[in-house]
Amino acid sequence: MKYVFQFGIVWDHLPRLVEGAWLTLRLSVGAFVLGLMLAALLAFARTSGPRGVRIAVTAYVEFIRNTPFLVQLFVIYFSLPAIGIRFEAVTAALIGMTLNFAGYATEILRAGIESVPRSQIEAGHSLGFSRLSIYRHIIVYPALRAVYPALASQFVLLMLGSSIVAAISVEELTGIINTLQSTTFRAFEFYFVATGFYLTLALVLRLLLDAVYWLAFVRGHPAEKAWAR
Amino acid sequence: MSRDFEWPEFVFLLSAMRWTIVLSLIAFAGGGIGGLLLAVARTSSIKPLRWLAATYIGLIQGTPLLMQLFLAFYGLAVIAGVRIDPWPAVILAFTLYAAAFLGEIWRGAIQAIPRQQWEAAAALPLSPAAQLRYVILPQAFRIAVPPTIGFLVQLVKGTSVASIIGFVELTRAGQLMVNVTFQPLIVYPIVAVLYFALCWPMSFWSLRLERKLDAALGIKRTA
Amino acid sequence: MNRRDMLMGAATAGAAGVALLAAGSDVAHAQVTPAQTAGGVLDRIIKDKKIRVTAEVTSPPFGILDRNNQPDGSEIETSRQLAKDLGVELELVQVTAPQRIPALLAGRADVAISSLSITFDRAKTVMFAPPHGALSIVIAGAKKNSIKSAADLAGKKIGLTRATLEEATVPGIAPQGTNLVYFDDIAATLQAMVSGQVDAAGMSAFAAKSVADRNPRAEIENKFTVRTAYYGAAVRPGDFDLLQFLRTWVFLNKQNGVLARIYQKYTEIPLVDLPVL
Repeated sequence: MKYVFQFGIVWDHLPRLVEGAWLTLRLSVGAFVLGLMLAALLAFARTSGPRGVRIAVTAYVEFIRNTPFLVQLFVIYFSLPAIGIRFEAVTAALIGMTLNFAGYATEILRAGIESVPRSQIEAGHSLGFSRLSIYRHIIVYPALRAVYPALASQFVLLMLGSSIVAAISVEELTGIINTLQSTTFRAFEFYFVATGFYLTLALVLRLLLDAVYWLAFVRGHPAEKAWAR
Repeated sequence: MSRDFEWPEFVFLLSAMRWTIVLSLIAFAGGGIGGLLLAVARTSSIKPLRWLAATYIGLIQGTPLLMQLFLAFYGLAVIAGVRIDPWPAVILAFTLYAAAFLGEIWRGAIQAIPRQQWEAAAALPLSPAAQLRYVILPQAFRIAVPPTIGFLVQLVKGTSVASIIGFVELTRAGQLMVNVTFQPLIVYPIVAVLYFALCWPMSFWSLRLERKLDAALGIKRTA
Repeated sequence: MNRRDMLMGAATAGAAGVALLAAGSDVAHAQVTPAQTAGGVLDRIIKDKKIRVTAEVTSPPFGILDRNNQPDGSEIETSRQLAKDLGVELELVQVTAPQRIPALLAGRADVAISSLSITFDRAKTVMFAPPHGALSIVIAGAKKNSIKSAADLAGKKIGLTRATLEEATVPGIAPQGTNLVYFDDIAATLQAMVSGQVDAAGMSAFAAKSVADRNPRAEIENKFTVRTAYYGAAVRPGDFDLLQFLRTWVFLNKQNGVLARIYQKYTEIPLVDLPVL
């Protein structure tokens, strides 16, 4: 049997592929923003909260980091309805991605917070700064600068990991590809092109993140001289 | 009516977990060999070698694991004209995946060794290969252990993706049991707990090793 | 530096690829010969004393997991009968619905016996043996979701499994405004229906009955029939020897009533008169 590559079929469906890629992007950015906000809260609680809260946050983080994302999604989408909590597929995917990202981001932010030298924090205390002010003026900037690369990598991982949400019927890039290849039987061509899409998205994302880093942390920031290592 | 989730169903999950472990170990072993080669290639002075290794790692790390799996599963037979059974295709995909990540981790460990070590070894004198073997790698090994164990956890979690192509590991077994019992509220959390039982001890061990290493290197932890 | 290394590597690999192309190798056509022996696939199966058949275990009653969580069902029993009549060992290759044909084409299985309905599209990529069973595709859902005909699907979430007959036919009859939701496995579609994630789903009437029986509280009922179809075994294009054996096999097992017996055992209805392909 001769297998003839027919990439033409893939180009015929290009609009749908772009649609799927667009949803992938929206989900990833949404989960990143929401997840980062949640992680900031949790990282703050983990470093400065009462013991009970610290343990709860640790439990959450360890659970996320030691169970597969796919299983987390199944619990949200298939298990919760049994106790009456029903989410639409896209909502469930967003929630799953947010909670998952926050699990990793909390640890990253925590490491960043703890990397700020104690001497700086003590200086803040002796100047009479409130706890919140210390975070705002002393911790946030250097912490973010220190962990930015790790966060950026995690963002790309988040975007690549979004391919899994097709398993709960979300029609992002992978979901669309699955539907298309199952009706045309051109599995290889579609998966090859989809992989190319993801690679492009990952590269573009990386470039954008690098640009943001340069704008935020390198280019002429007044505090840059103080924190330059 | 539908069966309840009872002991036989739990045993089914456990027996599938066996395949999760086997797949992870084989991919880790194969990926370890590949990763070592890649790490050496990435740090070698032969430019084309560095470039090709970098491209390979960039490809694997820049595309979803699910896509790599699909390509291995559906694509290999087409291009290579080989009849590929489920196991080899899945093992190949995960091994290639592991090789890229381990290669990066170990490259980082090698590059973390200060230049003075290389120079001292060269002054002994040792050939570049011997420098690597007797001076650099043993030190890099210590630095590499915690993140390597961390990746093993990632690998075990990654095997859950094989369920999407019907490979019967723990996650697929969970789906099958849900299909038989219609009790997702019981089955999926149990599957999660089983993965946790598998992964958390390794994560914890990796953390402890990292702390010991930091202490040895004189880094004070504030956590 | 990392990025630059990658770019150089891509360039090097690209250059090597172009050089290969220029050297004249035909990259546009790949030869696939999954079953490679002189004499064809049937001879190989008999020589190896083993036949590999696809098995879908999440498609009741064609493929299920029995009380001991082992594969069972009408198609699986049919596969066992085929192996027995050939005098070889049976190896079941577990697949999900979208993998039935790809597994066959990739050579992971020699025959696909997994309730593959005979359609024009599929006939373009595989060769069908004469049908050995019949099914109907229905829309099924909870009693509280009132759906009496295709028109009522508008505004509802309807679940479908990819690469199945329902996926091929339901979108054609669904009116504008129907929210079609696709899953990669029949198990997921059934679960989505039972848990209320979709209002109704397309599936075989047998699957609907099976789910309804096993979940009385969900009150699943058959809403309406979409179409009926015959299903049969499929082989790779070119495996004519195996196809001819299957033709003969279906003929003989129709005469001796074995196919009817297996069908009735799992579906609980008698087998209709099967046309000849």
